[in-house]
Amino acid sequence: MSRIAIWDLPTRAFHWLIVLLMPALWWTGEEHMYDLHLLLGEATLGLILFRLIWGLIGSSTARFAGFVRGPGAVLAYLRGQRPARVGHNPLGALSVLALLFLLANVVGLGLFASDEDGLAPGPLAHLVTYDSARILAERHEQVFWILVGFIGLHVAAILFYLLVRRENLVTPMVTGGREGSGGEAAMAAAPAWRFFVAAAAAAALTWLIAAGF
Amino acid sequence: MRYFALAAAACVATAAVAQPMAARIADRQANYKQMGAAMKAINDQLRSGNPSVREIRRRSALIAGFSVRLLRWFPRGSGPEAGARTRALPAIWTDHDSFTRRGAALVVAARRLDAAARGGDLVSIRAALPAVSRACSACHDDFRAPEH
Repeated sequence: MSRIAIWDLPTRAFHWLIVLLMPALWWTGEEHMYDLHLLLGEATLGLILFRLIWGLIGSSTARFAGFVRGPGAVLAYLRGQRPARVGHNPLGALSVLALLFLLANVVGLGLFASDEDGLAPGPLAHLVTYDSARILAERHEQVFWILVGFIGLHVAAILFYLLVRRENLVTPMVTGGREGSGGEAAMAAAPAWRFFVAAAAAAALTWLIAAGF
Repeated sequence: MRYFALAAAACVATAAVAQPMAARIADRQANYKQMGAAMKAINDQLRSGNPSVREIRRRSALIAGFSVRLLRWFPRGSGPEAGARTRALPAIWTDHDSFTRRGAALVVAARRLDAAARGGDLVSIRAALPAVSRACSACHDDFRAPEH
């Protein structure tokens, strides 16, 4: 048995930075620490944009085209068929899409939202009226709690794999690899220059949006 | 006709005096909403690439004008005991001195902002705005119940 690569560093960094940001965003929002909340929200926006670009040009296991499968593959997986390649399984892929979609929605709504006192409107809130910004702030919070529900499901699934299937998914997300069972094709890593392209594009887009266009 | 006008005027006057607390609360909330919208508009302007001093001045004048009247929006009896939905906390009346001080602090900050807006200098406007934000929050933190 030899160690095989599964997740590249940018994908792991994205994952764990979001893990750190979620409670910080919740707390700063709850405590009305709006300056910090907006700053962290903009950082989250940058990470999401990076992940979306990385999903197009990143390593094989980070690419949407590499892991998003149709309903047939999901059903086959549920019936017990093991996937031939490392990375997200067909069911896990749906979870990744749902989490990313919800996260993008929370951040997207936050861009246009405002607190009731108008002290810290989001960077794009100037495009909507006060009343709309208030409705969007409510949606921002509601979709956040839906996201929290899906995060709970995500953690429960990881516990299920760990306790029932005896498969540790957490360590590979930290170290990037695990012992291979032989016959598996490891991740095809993207060259470093692609990371710099994706990071620069995400940073530029985030800067544009944070500046209110 | 004259009697009718007089009677109508009397009715209006009586209604104003005996204006039920629920209406006072609704007015107060509408006023605060206008102030919130004005703050958002100022922040929006300052965030945009090309802030309009005229737009800012319109809002700073509203906030300064409202801040002077604000303490009068809280007659005794217009708290939670009024029965209408309000986030005004009883501390407004039990700790009325600090409430009044917070109100006075807003007047000072809002007038400075308005003076800066009338001066037309964006740097001064930006410098004067945080004190208004802090004055809003200082009062809301202690005298307004959370949204949920």
